[in-house]
Amino acid sequence: MGGDERWTEHERQARELFDASVEGVDASTRSRLNRARQAAVAEVERSRHGPWRTWLPAAAAASVALLAVVLWRMPGQQPGVLPVVEGAPTAEVVEMLAIGDDVVSEDPEFYTWLADRGLPADNGSG
Amino acid sequence: MNASASLGFATLARLADAGRDGAEDTALPSAASLDRFLASVERRAFRIAQMALRDRDDSLDVVQGAMLRLARNYARRPSEEWRPLFYRILYNGIRDAQRRRTVRSRFFGLLPGTARDDDEGAVDRFERVPDPGPDPSRQAMNDEAMQRLEAALQQLPARQQQAFVLRCLEGMDVAEAAAVMGCAEGSVKTHYFRALQALRAQLSEVW
Repeated sequence: MGGDERWTEHERQARELFDASVEGVDASTRSRLNRARQAAVAEVERSRHGPWRTWLPAAAAASVALLAVVLWRMPGQQPGVLPVVEGAPTAEVVEMLAIGDDVVSEDPEFYTWLADRGLPADNGSG
Repeated sequence: MNASASLGFATLARLADAGRDGAEDTALPSAASLDRFLASVERRAFRIAQMALRDRDDSLDVVQGAMLRLARNYARRPSEEWRPLFYRILYNGIRDAQRRRTVRSRFFGLLPGTARDDDEGAVDRFERVPDPGPDPSRQAMNDEAMQRLEAALQQLPARQQQAFVLRCLEGMDVAEAAAVMGCAEGSVKTHYFRALQALRAQLSEVW
C-alpha cells in the first residue's frame, strides 16, 4: 500500500480477513484456477504462432493458383488468335479474291480491270 | 502500484470500454510473464467474484472468462496495464453473471417446483482434500468474521462494493480504482467513503 498509516484499523482488519480467505481457498478451486490459467496462457502461445500456421498453407496454395493463371494467360500461348504478319494481304484483298466466277462473269469491266492489274484471269484454277 | 498511477488510465478505460483489441500495439510479451501475473491475481479474483455472486462455480467461470479475455485481447498491452484491465474485465463478467442469474431466477420462478441443481450429485475428489491451515480455531474465527464482512458488503450498492473491494481489499489507489470502475476519481472517493460509513454501521459489533 505504500502508506499503511493512512488506513484505519477497520480497513486493515478487513484486508487481513480478505487475505486470509484468499489463502484459505480450497484445493479443488485452486486446481480449477490453475487449469483456467494454463488455458489462458496457451491462448497466448497459440496467438504467437497461430497466424503463420493458419495462413502459410493458404498463402502457398494461392501463390500456386496465381502462377498457374499467369502462365495460362501469357500472350504467345493463347489459342484461336492469329499472329499479325507485316506485308500480308489485307482483309479487302482477301475478300476480293474470294469472289466467285459468277460475279466476274456478270461484271466484264471488273474482269478487264483485273486483267490490267496483271492478276491471273483464271480465278478458278487456283 | 505507484508505477500504475503513472499510466494513462483514461486511455485504458476507453480501450476497455470499446473492447478494442490491443493486439497490434506492441510485441507479445512472454507467456511466462502472463502466467506469473495471472497466478498472482487468480485466487483474489475468485474470492472477489465469490463475494459478489456467492456461488463457487459461477465465480470460477467468471474468473476463467476474465483470464481468457485478457490473454486474447490484451496480452500485447504493457504488463503494467494488465491489472486494471483484468479487474475491469472481471467486474464486467460479474455484472453479466448477475444479470444472467436474474433472468434465470425469473424464468425458473415461473415454473413451480423447479430448482437449480446443476451440480447435484457431481463428485469432486478435491472437495475432500484437507486444506493446510495454521490454526483451525483461528481459521474458524476468521471465517466467521469474513462471512459477516461479506454479508455487510452484500447490503451495499454495487458501486460502493466495488470501490471498497478495489481500494481496501485490493489496495488500489484512487486512480487505478477509477480506471477499473470506469468513473472519475472523485466518484471513487465518494463511493468508498459511503461504503466505509455503511460498513462501520453494520459491523459495529465486530469493528
